[in-house]
Amino acid sequence: MSQRVNPELLTEIKKYGAADISACFNCGNCTAVCPMTKEDETFPRRIIRYAQVGLEDRLLSSKELWLCYNCGECSETCPRQAEPGAFMAAARRYAISKYDRSGVAKLLFTSPLWSLIFLVVLAGLIALFMLAQPNPPLPPSGPLKVFELVPVESIHYLGSAVMGIMGLIGLLGILDMMKRISKVDDKGKLLAGGKKTNWKEALWNALITESLLQKRFREDCETSEEGVEKPWYLKKWFLHASTMWGFLGLLAATMSDFFFYLIKYKVSGEPVTPAGNPAVLWYFVHVMATIAGFFLMYGTSVLLYKRWKPDSRTYSDSNQADWVLLWLLWLAGFSGLFLEVLMDLPQAPVWGYGVFIFHVAVSMEVSLLAPLLKFGHAFYRPVALFFHALKPLEE
Amino acid sequence: MATDKINVDVLVVGGGIAGMQSALDLADQGYQVMLVEKSPTIGGTMITLSKVFPTLDCASCITTPKMSAVAHHDNIQMFTYTEVQSVERQGNRYIAQVVKKPRYVNENICTGCRKCEYACPVEVPSVFDQDLGAYRAIHVPFSTAVPQVAVLDMDNCMLCGKCEKACPVEGCIDYEQKPQEIEVTAKAIVLATGFKITPVDAKAEYGGGKYPNVISALAMERLLAPTGPYGHVLRPSDGKEPESIAYVQCAGSRDKSLGVPYCSRICCMYAIKQAMLLSGALPLADITIYYMDIRTFGKGYEQFYQNAKAMGIEFVKAKVAKITEDENQNLRVRVEMMEEGGQVEEREHDLVVLSVGVLPAYNPEAVFGVPVSSEDNFIEIPSPNFEPCNTGFPGIFAAGTATGPMDIVDSIVMAGAAASEATAYLHELAAAENGGVTHD
Repeated sequence: MSQRVNPELLTEIKKYGAADISACFNCGNCTAVCPMTKEDETFPRRIIRYAQVGLEDRLLSSKELWLCYNCGECSETCPRQAEPGAFMAAARRYAISKYDRSGVAKLLFTSPLWSLIFLVVLAGLIALFMLAQPNPPLPPSGPLKVFELVPVESIHYLGSAVMGIMGLIGLLGILDMMKRISKVDDKGKLLAGGKKTNWKEALWNALITESLLQKRFREDCETSEEGVEKPWYLKKWFLHASTMWGFLGLLAATMSDFFFYLIKYKVSGEPVTPAGNPAVLWYFVHVMATIAGFFLMYGTSVLLYKRWKPDSRTYSDSNQADWVLLWLLWLAGFSGLFLEVLMDLPQAPVWGYGVFIFHVAVSMEVSLLAPLLKFGHAFYRPVALFFHALKPLEE
Repeated sequence: MATDKINVDVLVVGGGIAGMQSALDLADQGYQVMLVEKSPTIGGTMITLSKVFPTLDCASCITTPKMSAVAHHDNIQMFTYTEVQSVERQGNRYIAQVVKKPRYVNENICTGCRKCEYACPVEVPSVFDQDLGAYRAIHVPFSTAVPQVAVLDMDNCMLCGKCEKACPVEGCIDYEQKPQEIEVTAKAIVLATGFKITPVDAKAEYGGGKYPNVISALAMERLLAPTGPYGHVLRPSDGKEPESIAYVQCAGSRDKSLGVPYCSRICCMYAIKQAMLLSGALPLADITIYYMDIRTFGKGYEQFYQNAKAMGIEFVKAKVAKITEDENQNLRVRVEMMEEGGQVEEREHDLVVLSVGVLPAYNPEAVFGVPVSSEDNFIEIPSPNFEPCNTGFPGIFAAGTATGPMDIVDSIVMAGAAASEATAYLHELAAAENGGVTHD
């Protein structure tokens, strides 16, 4: 099958980071040193080669892009200091922005100023949307009654819309990626290397073992500096897991909150009480959200610190994509926990309502943009792993 | 202590192949030369080699006559075990303070009979044999050393007195010998201070010097040399005859993570040469060279490479990422087989030779004022295409690997060029002085 060559590919990817990759002369050190390479999964050199010779289809349909956890071993030992690890990260950003047809992902990855303006304006619009309600004046004192400011239904419907749009963007991106994977003629290689996999095993492996539990991240990619084992709470896997499970926990809590709300008020027909404080039925959800919030805060805070003062190649070469996601998550988590404290105060300050609006706006923003941020890997990675594992059976 | 004074035309610093060639070229034209060498013998790195590329001439057979010629030349005063302490410019002359370190052996009466060496009970690793073999605390550095004079390693000597008893020349061994200071007045200086190899333990991925069967290419030279420590190619850990030998190219150069970004130029050729010699020494051994790219830059070098391939030496395009050792001290070399499908393989070898690179052996800035390049620390030559040996300081010239990585052929050519540039300078100086005009 013929290959289309994009001569601008390497120049394009450099806009997403990986400034030093032109120094690469394909010695293969990175591939041999990588703890993730297996018989049929060899990178980063092959992926760098795709970029150098402009094989865009190959690059955008490769599984290896999503296998890499950026442990930094390749960058540490690269004889040319071409930073293959940083290249892999840049190539992932490039892929995410290519799967997105709107161009928003590209803006968020490549232009610090415009992405800042975009993020502020979008959060402002969400806040305005919530405030543009026929609402009663703010109570001057007493506990926060946030649902008097913004009706609980508005938030829930806005949230549903946000989740819907996010799902749609994610789905379109995934479809684009799947199309690319199925288009590339990789039969010989996949057949020779891949062992026969049934789809259930592939699904379990892609979704549970490798995405939720991140087995190979835990087992293979924990590079120790000069043999000194890090405590578990500072391991790269744990920091990532803490952030991921914190986020998932908060997502689950929000969903169950909505679910209980539907059951209680919509099914039974009870009138909605505009109280901000959680009712007893919500108690379990409340505890879960608090725990998840702490995990999210721990993960993002340590990761932000490590990106500020890198102690490993994993955290050096930070791109705006890394900063944007971490800060959005941190702000959402911090404002959420802060709000919880404020809501338990008998006498809450008026600016507590500002914290509430801020929290909801940032949380909705990060959810809405998820497939277009660095977060996008959560969408594409499991699908790429699953689809590639399936492929040998189809041929 | 009385300071001896010596007046010469040219002071040559370094007694390797470049320094010897410069000294001979100058002396043959009638100039008075003083050659100083920091180690107890001249000959440099070249005399430690087995054979030289691309002609496969025996290195000793080429170097030893030059060493002898230097030692016996009427116009050359050779000072071994001697270092330059300071240099000062006075008018058109350089005044150098040099110190001859104590050998604890009277150089003028020692006959080189080696009876002291046979009597000495202390064995120390042989620097000449890259620590693979041993010599005694008092020793003649090697069989063709020039001068053939013993030197006592006082750090390891236990002052048992056995050597003094064994010595047939009265008063030759002198445990109380003191350093000798010499003031040298010279019109010109040639710096030929040579190179050292990049350290074998620099890369943690290659075992950081902990694996006995990972050796430097200079150690392999000694194993291959007829005068080598074992007289045969055996691997260091257990004396086994290796059946599979790997060469790791660019093990010390072209690696920014080691701070040596430049190409050392000689490693491709010496690895191919050693592989050829090994094919002769161990006809049944498999020899593999792992390379990033082969740089056979000189006349006849590419043919040399093609011959090696035709001889059955395996060339694998891959940068070795890691070397690990198993319980039998065999080594596993981890590479991406990029020309055979790109899979990663761990290939087992009995012996691994690191093709280490070239670093400058000496920084002349403090003593001679001659700056080194900030990029590679070799002597800076301001206009290498115009005056390739001129350091930019009047009368100070440089030759050989002190100025950058190069092979023996180029070192000899550059040594001749340095001698030529120096004689031109001396002529000009003489004309100026006779005309009563100062130089510059």
